[in-house]
Amino acid sequence: MIWFSALVLIPLMAVVVTAVEGGWDVFWATITNGQTSAAIRLTVLTALGVTAVNVVMGPLIAWVLVRDRFWGKSVLEVMIDIPFALPTIVAGLVLLSLYGNDSPVGVDIANERPAVFLAFLFVTLPFVVRMVQPVLEELDRDVEEAAASLGASRITTFRRIILPSLAPAIAAGAALSFARGVSEYGSLVLLSGNLPFKTEVTSVRILSSIENDNVPAAAAVATVLLAISLAVIVLLDLIQRRVAARG
Amino acid sequence: MSIEVRGLNKNFGDFVALDDVDVTIPTGQLTALLGPSGGGKSTLLRIIAGLEKADTGSVSIEGVEATHLPAQKRNVGFVFQHYAVFKHMTVAKNVAFGLEIRKRPKDEIEHRVRELLELVHLSQFAHRLPSQLSGGQRQRMALARALAVEPSVLLLDEPFGALDAKVRKELRDWLRRLHDDVHVTTVFVTHDQEEALEVADEIVVINEGRVEQVGTPDQLYDEPANDFVMSFLGEVTHLGGLALRPHDIELESSPSLAGSVEGTISRLVRIGFEVRLTVLTVDGEEVSVVVTRAHARAQRLEEGRTVWLTPAPGAAVVPRMAAAV
Repeated sequence: MIWFSALVLIPLMAVVVTAVEGGWDVFWATITNGQTSAAIRLTVLTALGVTAVNVVMGPLIAWVLVRDRFWGKSVLEVMIDIPFALPTIVAGLVLLSLYGNDSPVGVDIANERPAVFLAFLFVTLPFVVRMVQPVLEELDRDVEEAAASLGASRITTFRRIILPSLAPAIAAGAALSFARGVSEYGSLVLLSGNLPFKTEVTSVRILSSIENDNVPAAAAVATVLLAISLAVIVLLDLIQRRVAARG
Repeated sequence: MSIEVRGLNKNFGDFVALDDVDVTIPTGQLTALLGPSGGGKSTLLRIIAGLEKADTGSVSIEGVEATHLPAQKRNVGFVFQHYAVFKHMTVAKNVAFGLEIRKRPKDEIEHRVRELLELVHLSQFAHRLPSQLSGGQRQRMALARALAVEPSVLLLDEPFGALDAKVRKELRDWLRRLHDDVHVTTVFVTHDQEEALEVADEIVVINEGRVEQVGTPDQLYDEPANDFVMSFLGEVTHLGGLALRPHDIELESSPSLAGSVEGTISRLVRIGFEVRLTVLTVDGEEVSVVVTRAHARAQRLEEGRTVWLTPAPGAAVVPRMAAAV
């Protein structure tokens, strides 16, 4: 256990140490730099937005996959996993050819902010679905019937019986999807154009810092992301506990 | 009459679960739906509860036409074989659920929950989660939860089916005593004839989607309507074209009674106070006979002895049918 903890903790510590090596002033100057803070803001807000969409859509898709029978269901099952299996740069290429300058569907969002959102959404879609699906499958129909015979409407049953059971899975999926969004690079790098102050995300910013031999700056941005991710995970866990304990 | 079921039919694809079923369940009694697995008794119970829809036929509960009422509006309590507990709620919250849905005042809910937990002997577990309870305790909690909303009928689907033999027996006695206290019309499904005979006021025997017989345990045991009911409620043997119970055969060492059938004892097994015999008659029938040990000793019964068999006077007999089990 300790060894495995070290496996995770040592690199994290290294990043933090590198970030603060240059002193507090350098750290602060780096992250308050206009271009960097714009990138952080864009990345975090977009990741949050995408996570919010996933939290709503994920359980819905999982519900349809578990409870409904329709033609083409097994095809959909496989399709959900495609963003997982696809190398992200391939996903980027797919998005570029579909929503790029000469889009066959007439949607040109190249070098625009929606490109970032779309790329995040594409790669994070399976997380909540795949976390919720097995829990939903395990859920006893008996329990819903018991609630119904006690007089609970479908909505009340969902809110007080089903949702609390799904909450941990939704929260875990949301945390994964947020973390993946924040760290995303390959899928958006082609379509977004990486324009400073507009569509440049933190992972691109970190890469350019390293290319300019400015490792402390890269580590500083990384540390900020680390802190934000940690905060989001803790927050999600708190929300999850509240929902699960309601009922 | 509390529950009236008329002309109920239900198919699952090609499988006929219920075939034109008419049942009347009296108010305030404990009624068992008894039959082999897959015979349609659970389907009948679920249709009464509104958890399943009948293809045709009608159900009325306490004089209210309920055929098209959703489960939420039928005011029935339902207890499931596998407890169907709300895992994320404490025992007290589980029991309070139906009352909270009905938006009862808080102190009334609290009072009622305390009362019910006392009734099912779970007061000290009020703040535990269901996962910290044993199977028997969980089922008692489920029962309290169902009773909380003061249902007009209480339906139990194989309530003790998932419990081990000892707990089963305890809960069975306890259910009987509870019913004597609470007096709510109760219907429970079981495939265990001993359970039905011991607990129920009235038994409805269901087989292959049809009602075979309705009656008190004594009626069913003493006057079975057919071979199926007879064989389902206890051991059966056949003698001269009649089905009857092995202990209802009189056995003599000389042909003193009219109509007795001659045979030879081919097997003799002593089990505790009773002696089980297999007698091979001259007509080629193998008949099981149970006698007391004293009787066997008095007549010096042993394998190879020739004996004469007659149905005991007043024995429950039915003509043997082709479908005899």
